[in-house]
Amino acid sequence: MAGASQFPIPVRPNIGRRATAESPVAKFLLIGITLVFFSLFLLLPLFVVFHEAFSKGLGVFLRTFQDPYTQDAIRLTLLVAAIAVPLNTVFGLAAAWSLTRFRFSGRSFLITLIDLPLWVSPVIGGLIYVLVFGSKGWFGPWLSDHGIRIIFAVPGIVLATVFVTFPFVARGLIPLMQAQGISEEEAALTLGANGWQIFWRVTVPKIKWGLLYGVILCNARAMGEFGAVSVVSGHIRGKTNTMPLHIEILYNEYHFAAAFAVASLLALLALVTLFLKTYSEWRAAEQLKQL
Amino acid sequence: MSIRIRHITKRFSRYPALNDVSVEIETGELIALLGPSGSGKTTLLRVIAGLEFPESEGAVLFQDRDVTRLSAYKRKAGFVFQAYALFAHMNVFENIAFALRILPRKKRPPEAVIRARVAELLAAVQLEGLEKRLPTQLSGGQRQRVAFARALAIEPEVLLLDEPFGALDAKVRKDLRRWLREFHERIRLTTIFVTHDQDEAFEVADRVVIIDKGVIQQSGTPEEVRKNPANEFVREFLDL
Amino acid sequence: MSNRAPSPRKHALPGMGLTLGYSVVYLSLIVLVPFSALFVKTASGGWGHFWETITAPRVVASYWVSFGLSLFAALVNGVFGFIAAWVLVRYRFPGRRILDAMVDLPFALPTAVAGIALTAIYAPNDWIGALLKPFGIKVAFTQLGIFVALTFIGLPFVVRTLQPVIQNLSDDVEEAAACLGAGRWQTFWRVIFPALLPSTLTGVTLAYGRAVGEYGSVVFIAGNLPFKTEITPLLIISKLEQYDYSGAAALGFVMLVVSFFVLLASNGLQAWDNNRKGLH
Repeated sequence: MAGASQFPIPVRPNIGRRATAESPVAKFLLIGITLVFFSLFLLLPLFVVFHEAFSKGLGVFLRTFQDPYTQDAIRLTLLVAAIAVPLNTVFGLAAAWSLTRFRFSGRSFLITLIDLPLWVSPVIGGLIYVLVFGSKGWFGPWLSDHGIRIIFAVPGIVLATVFVTFPFVARGLIPLMQAQGISEEEAALTLGANGWQIFWRVTVPKIKWGLLYGVILCNARAMGEFGAVSVVSGHIRGKTNTMPLHIEILYNEYHFAAAFAVASLLALLALVTLFLKTYSEWRAAEQLKQL
Repeated sequence: MSIRIRHITKRFSRYPALNDVSVEIETGELIALLGPSGSGKTTLLRVIAGLEFPESEGAVLFQDRDVTRLSAYKRKAGFVFQAYALFAHMNVFENIAFALRILPRKKRPPEAVIRARVAELLAAVQLEGLEKRLPTQLSGGQRQRVAFARALAIEPEVLLLDEPFGALDAKVRKDLRRWLREFHERIRLTTIFVTHDQDEAFEVADRVVIIDKGVIQQSGTPEEVRKNPANEFVREFLDL
Repeated sequence: MSNRAPSPRKHALPGMGLTLGYSVVYLSLIVLVPFSALFVKTASGGWGHFWETITAPRVVASYWVSFGLSLFAALVNGVFGFIAAWVLVRYRFPGRRILDAMVDLPFALPTAVAGIALTAIYAPNDWIGALLKPFGIKVAFTQLGIFVALTFIGLPFVVRTLQPVIQNLSDDVEEAAACLGAGRWQTFWRVIFPALLPSTLTGVTLAYGRAVGEYGSVVFIAGNLPFKTEITPLLIISKLEQYDYSGAAALGFVMLVVSFFVLLASNGLQAWDNNRKGLH
């Protein structure tokens, strides 16, 4: 998460507190406040998504997914994720390797730069590509002369998605690889291993949970991105509509149940993401403890 | 294989970790690099291993071959790390077999040969039967010996040990010291080990090289050094 | 470093050239080049146009909505997030683990999904909106609705920032205070809270940074009435639709400047915190 400097360690409560515990009344009150706050802001929205999705019955729910535009939207979302996630995974691995295994000046600038998309509005993530590739952008005239469309077409969507999701894999790996140190890699080096052998045989097994964690988050964001994609997309049904954009269209046309039906799919993805994220976080922390 | 270190300087910041260091080590010697922490002894060891590279002047020669700029993975210098650096996700067998498994296809021995070699090495360090254990399931002394066996798998011509007994308790340390000495008598491999413990250095080594602040203070057999400490530092450090 | 000619190879582990080179090229293409377009386009419109754009009344109204409401939302998250973090770390109750995992929901849930869900909840005839209607309180399509959405969005930041810090509070300080006769409330105010304040502020800053730029969760519930419920990101989009690239860039620049200050503030807070603890 933006600004967190430690690899998130799963938290266990301090039990068995004695003279330094709150009174039961205070405890009850605090737990109550928390439960109300969370229910209101977390559980209720989640519940509402599924409730509204099925509010017109299972028939309407299923028919939504038979609509060709919805299917196109799902396909496009999957395609964009299938391109953006691997690209950013390779980047994340390269960046993490160079930042944690070597000392060089400019390291902290690079690390700050990697966090950038988490600090800026997603709309800016789309804006910058329009400024470069849009019809009045830097390459606009050149692109239209050559019949290449980036903005209002799939390449633009991929670019915007790559921008907003590239930090995740790197941020999952950097603290982990930092904490693990480089002795095992150095040992492999003295045993005669070359760069690739060190990477595949020694590093990757060590980082697999951190890698999974980063990829999960990267994917979730890639599939769910709305702001940045909204700017570059053009909202052309069937062509440049991703699932989140399709939800917007359905909603604006008052097809509420349909909008929520598609949303429920993404909400399900969010829950799976949360589960896998928690699991891989836990495994990575366990692995670190063994050092 | 002899090792010649000529005028090595290494800088990490403004102050040199190694300052114009020169040492001659003959084939089959067991040398202790002795000094307080921060003296540069580990840095020197790592330069010999190829894990650090010195500044532009200076040379490291393995039996008249200039290896100064050669990457570690080509030097065939067995290295045992201070915290052993065993591959945590591999069992003992795989750790030791690693060096053989990564050989290029043409040079890689068949599985049966690998198995035999690993068994041989485990026997040499007296750890037979522990092939399937993971590093977390071993004691400190056992891990240390696995690290040893693993380094020996490359059939090195020089063995480099970084504070090999540092993290172990006193009794295990004594046993391993004796074991190292016996091992060396048997195998006669040029060996350099780093320590800050002078008893250890004097007990085990043929020759002691004392280093402080990146500069060699004295080099000689334990008796020589004890009888004729070269300067005030040596006298104080050895409590003479 | 050395002021002699550098040795031909400086690093033992291989791959520095390849990985660093790839990373730098990737970042240049994806980040540096497009962002320079932002700066150039902002400048190219000329100072007059720039100033006009960023001080237009409608735009200024959006600043209040985007930057002002985000602050309130972040502060609310500060308070409730603090309580929630405390409860999650210190107490044990059924469902604690699930609740803990759910804290990240605003982070994992696509913003459009959150947007329509929140609108559904607070629209006048549904769920909570219906509950509040008799009291004359309207949430959806008002600034209150935007505030709610921004609170949702920022929720994980305070909680997640505080949890490890609370976890690492050593018992002995609290026990010492108790031995010295401090009541629980006193111990909290004088001992625990000051220790947690920097992290709380950091979390609030992070929540603020996120809320300021938020688009998807807000744009549905906002209603987007000019001068009332328009957020700045929305104005950027409408300028782009009108092909006013330099205007859009100008607003983007303003948002970047705000984000930059938020980043500085957050780093500053962390440095202050580290300094107090004696870490560096």
